[in-house]
Amino acid sequence: MSATTAAERAEIRTMARELAYRELIPRAAGLDRGDPAALDGCWSRLVEIGLDRALLSEQHGGVELSVLDLLATIEELSVGDGGIAMCVLLCNAALATLADEQLADVPAGARWALVPASSGSEVTISDGQLDGSLACALGAHGADGLLFLLDGSEPAAWAVGAGAGGLRLERDLAQMGLRAAPAASVELTGVSCAPALGGSDGRADGGSAQLSVADAAALVRAGTASIAHGIARRAYEMALEYAHARQQGGVAIIDHDAVSDMLAAMAVRLACWPGIAADHGSEIDQAQALAAKIAATDAAVASTTDAVQVFGGTGYMVETGIEKLMRDAKYCQLFPEPNWVAHGELMRSERADRTAMRARST
Amino acid sequence: MTSITAERSLSEQFPRLAANGGGLDVRELERLRTRARRFAEEHVRPRALEIDRRTGEDPSWFDWDLVRAGGEHGMLGFMIPKPAGGGGARCTQGAVVMEELCAACPGIALIFGAHALGFSPLLLGGPAQWDGVLAELVASEHTGEPLLMACAITEPEAGTDVEDPDLLARARITSHARRVPGGFRLSGTKRFISNGSVARWITLLMPTDPRRPVETWTCFLLDTRSEGFAVARVEHKMGQRACPAAELTFDEVFVPDERVVSREGDGAGATMIVLASSRPPVGAIATGIARGAYERVLGWLEEDRVARGLLERQHVQLALAGMEEEIHLARQAYMDAATELDHGTLGGVMSNPGARALEHVPASFRRRAHIRSWLSSDRARDATIALLHRSTSDRAMTRSLALSSMAKARGGDVAMRVTGAALELVGLRAGPVRAELEKLWRDAKLTQIYEGTNQLNRLEVYRGLCRSETINCLPPLHPIHLDADALQPASVNGDGGRS
Repeated sequence: MSATTAAERAEIRTMARELAYRELIPRAAGLDRGDPAALDGCWSRLVEIGLDRALLSEQHGGVELSVLDLLATIEELSVGDGGIAMCVLLCNAALATLADEQLADVPAGARWALVPASSGSEVTISDGQLDGSLACALGAHGADGLLFLLDGSEPAAWAVGAGAGGLRLERDLAQMGLRAAPAASVELTGVSCAPALGGSDGRADGGSAQLSVADAAALVRAGTASIAHGIARRAYEMALEYAHARQQGGVAIIDHDAVSDMLAAMAVRLACWPGIAADHGSEIDQAQALAAKIAATDAAVASTTDAVQVFGGTGYMVETGIEKLMRDAKYCQLFPEPNWVAHGELMRSERADRTAMRARST
Repeated sequence: MTSITAERSLSEQFPRLAANGGGLDVRELERLRTRARRFAEEHVRPRALEIDRRTGEDPSWFDWDLVRAGGEHGMLGFMIPKPAGGGGARCTQGAVVMEELCAACPGIALIFGAHALGFSPLLLGGPAQWDGVLAELVASEHTGEPLLMACAITEPEAGTDVEDPDLLARARITSHARRVPGGFRLSGTKRFISNGSVARWITLLMPTDPRRPVETWTCFLLDTRSEGFAVARVEHKMGQRACPAAELTFDEVFVPDERVVSREGDGAGATMIVLASSRPPVGAIATGIARGAYERVLGWLEEDRVARGLLERQHVQLALAGMEEEIHLARQAYMDAATELDHGTLGGVMSNPGARALEHVPASFRRRAHIRSWLSSDRARDATIALLHRSTSDRAMTRSLALSSMAKARGGDVAMRVTGAALELVGLRAGPVRAELEKLWRDAKLTQIYEGTNQLNRLEVYRGLCRSETINCLPPLHPIHLDADALQPASVNGDGGRS
């Protein structure tokens, strides 16, 4: 259970909301251009508030937010910029999966990134060394450390400092969305790494790490859902405002059914957002996280696409800032895996539950 | 990797073309498609990502070398009438070429498409236009220093409005063409004009009386070297960046009477005819984008190490089948609209013996002073208009416009769905193909917006097909007297049409 009081948690959310409107939205164009100064400036502000290590205990310089509070905070940030919100999510997921002694070596203000990877096909681990390559690791470029989250029958997490020998990161210039979480293509050649101590079914070190590996994976999916929802909120706000202001055929365009139907559909998608629930403050149900990620990101893509349509030709222009939301939402749909892959994961999870139930009943 | 529907010959896909081409030479159309595909493979696709990157950094950057290469492959003048030296192609051929180019890069294709859109209002002017700018365009292509055209309709406060007579009547039009001795003075701003910053000539539409935009909507041919004309800025777009979209300003720009295309006040109907002929190619642009995405993802699935085994998954098989299905239907829609326009609605104009005979008059004879003078006269222009009335009707044009709008809207939605699905199949982990698919997805969105939003296009389908309304598209046989007192507001006529 979080040691932070309800009032403090509410205050952090409020600060995140204000930060989004006062500082992120005005800088969104610079962040979208991949301007390092814009990212550094925003990151400094997030560190001041303590959002870089929001889940960690005070002992580790954290503010002890619960997972749900973190998700709510991330949603507020993503109204300002989805990429910045993704940096916060990936940093928190990475740091909360490290053990105490590993965290002790992480300097204040460091930006880490959790990198989900396919075990075997993209990255292999042997004798404490990582090999392989993967494209478009969100938030990896310029990060101080990476936590590779490998899937498979025995999920595992491996921590690597940014300066590790054999690690090569190259900025992914093709990155279309969430550009404030700068992506890199990653080459690993015999990179020495340390296992993060969260085990697949709990904390292998007896509770040192905040999250298990499985929890970290669920957090990334649930966080991506929250980011997508925040992006969709922003798209709706902008489209609604524009629809009242823009005239067509002598009336505001919101008075045309062709436009108001799209806005209504956006409002319905927002209203249908179920939010994320967590047991014991930190454990998110894997299936719930998958379902939320699929639903929220599909809804965000639909809403941002409609929002551009409401703006018409103006929306297609970068300066409006609305097409950026469409690109950011699309990246949420593809991360940490495309939604069609997430569908498969969801059904695998359902089958596993059913098998376990049968085993218990017999 | 080419989709099956693109591999099949046009006569296999569209038996009606082969059975009764209505003057369309199917073998010539196949040759044109092959030529476009070769240009796309050799010049367009290899440069697409680099041009997208450069124009992303500097929207005003423009690849003239590519335009020259396009000229060498006949991609600029193939839709200009043969008497003016062009290829004489029509909407169907233009659409087929667009699909080929857009499967490689929609932004580059748009340079050629916007050029054709730029000169399309001149085609309504008949023989009077053959020996002017149209001939100059063809000559420039042959010298290796091609000139481009653009068409300027959209204004900062009026986008969709200017593409529909009902909305135009109440639109916030701020441009104005003021009559002065010998011509007009043009003032105002036009926005999002494709090729606007690189065009040598621009056709543009403005009202001569802003209080009555529908009745006085007039098409002008503007020389961009004119005093008072300026490119205010080039927009930074989400996609289709190779073709610049510019904001153009007009500060009392003088246009002489002889550069009024057709007659003062004929612009609203002319816009409808132009849109009926430009929307099937937009449907083709969208189809080409979808096809490009489909071909890339299929190639990736068959060849890339990262994708190994994915083709065995039913989800992937169903997704690919869905893409093929959507592309096929989108192509049918634009081909149906284009052939209906070429061989149904306007077929009578094209096959008119008098018009065909005129096409065979040697240019040297046509350019004699007295012949030229007659071709430019009011009588010749009126004869062209009379021919239009004898050969087609407002109802046929409205129906064609609706079919074109259907093809455009359907194509735009298909392009978004297929590029989105393709991107989802490859995910973020794919290599270079991801960059191509991301670009196509960004490019695709514009097809739901330009040439009228999909919503507006579907309202045209409702009017033209569901309600069988009639829009006055053809220029009136007798010119309207544009005295303020003589003007009447637009109204709906007895059979549900608008007049």
